[in-house]
Amino acid sequence: MKPSKRTLLIACAGVILALTFAFPVQLPSQTAAEKPAGGSGGSAEQYNIQVNQVDRGNLDLAYSFQFAIYENLVNELKKTRRFQQVFREGDRAAREAPNLLVLKTTVEKYNPGSETQRAVTTVSGATKLTVRTELLTRDGEVVMERTVNGNVRFFGSNLRATQNLARNIAKAIQQSSLAGSEQPSATLPAEF
Amino acid sequence: MNRFIVPWSQTHAYLGSRHALRLLAVLIGCTLTAPAQITPQKADSSAPFSIQATHVLGFENAKGNCNGILSIHEHSLQFQQNGNAGIQQVETGAIRGVFLGEEDKQVGGLPMTLGKTAAPFGGGRVVSLFAHKKYDSLALEYVDSDGGVHGTIFQLEKGQGEVAKNQLTALGVTGSGEERPTKQSAAEGRNETK
Repeated sequence: MKPSKRTLLIACAGVILALTFAFPVQLPSQTAAEKPAGGSGGSAEQYNIQVNQVDRGNLDLAYSFQFAIYENLVNELKKTRRFQQVFREGDRAAREAPNLLVLKTTVEKYNPGSETQRAVTTVSGATKLTVRTELLTRDGEVVMERTVNGNVRFFGSNLRATQNLARNIAKAIQQSSLAGSEQPSATLPAEF
Repeated sequence: MNRFIVPWSQTHAYLGSRHALRLLAVLIGCTLTAPAQITPQKADSSAPFSIQATHVLGFENAKGNCNGILSIHEHSLQFQQNGNAGIQQVETGAIRGVFLGEEDKQVGGLPMTLGKTAAPFGGGRVVSLFAHKKYDSLALEYVDSDGGVHGTIFQLEKGQGEVAKNQLTALGVTGSGEERPTKQSAAEGRNETK
C-alpha cells in the first residue's frame, strides 16, 4: 500500500507542477487575445470628455451625494483610459479640446436609505440611485443615453452608492461604441 | 465524589451561550470605546480655526476617508492628513458654495461589521442599534485655476459643521446653504421625477 500511495503523491505533485508551468504561459496569451475585443477600441481613443455637474432635478438629493457622484464620475472615467482627457465642468482647456463629448447626468430616483437600518434588518434601508446619463457632442447631438442604477443594499455607507453608480456609468460608456448605433436607452442594474 | 453529573449536550449548550454572552460583552465594549477614538485631537493653535475632520472625497492628493485637521485661515481652507506633511489648500475666494448636511453612520468600521456578523443569536443586530453616531457633513464646491468645478466632502463631529460654515461665511464665502438631513426612518419615501 505504501508504494502505491507514494506513487499517487508523486503523480499529484507532477500534475500540480505541470499546471503551474502551463498557466503562466496561457494566461498572458488569453489577456492579450481579449484586449482587442474590449471596449477601448482604437477610434474611441481620440475622444475627450467633459463631465458636467449632476443635475438634481426636482429631487431632495443631498449636496454631498451630488458632489460625490460628480467626483466619482471624474475618477472612474479617468480609470477607464477610454478618453484622452477628462475635463471638469467649466475647465477652460476643454474649449479647445478636439472631439469633445459632454457627459450630462440627471438624477431620476433617489432613496436615501439608512446604514443603521441595513445593519439591523438586512432587508430594508437600501440606498438607491437611478440616473439618466447622456453623452453629447458639442452640437448637442446625443451619442449615448443610458439609465444607470447604483445601490447599497447590505454593507457600506450611503455614499458608497455614488461610487457604485459612477463605476456603472463608466462601464456603460466603456462598453458603448460611441458611434450612436447602440440602443437608445438601457438599464444597467447593480446591487451590492 | 460530590460532582454533579451533567449531560454533555447541556454542558455544550451552556458553554456556547456563555461564549456568546462574552462575545456580546466584548462587542458592546468596542461600541463604547469606538467613539472615544474619534474624539478631536489637539488642533494647530497657530491656525485661527482648526478642527479634526475626515476627508471623505474630493481633494486629489488626500486619501478618501482619512482623518486630519481642517483649518480655516484668512484666505484659505487647508486640510492636513494625519501622518502626512502635505497640505491640501483651497483659496476661500475659489469656494463657490458651502453646504451642511447630517449623516448617521455605523461606528467601528470593518472589524466591527465582521464581529457583528459573527455574533450568534442576532446579537450583532442589537449592537448595530446602538453602534451608530451622527456626524455633520460639510460639502464644498470650488473652482481650480483652470475654472474646473470641484466638490469635496468632509465629515465633522456633530455641531462642528455649523461652526465651520459660519467661519467660511464670515470670510465672504457665498452660496452657502443647508441641506435637509438624510431621512433615516423607515418612513422614508422614494423620490421620483416623472
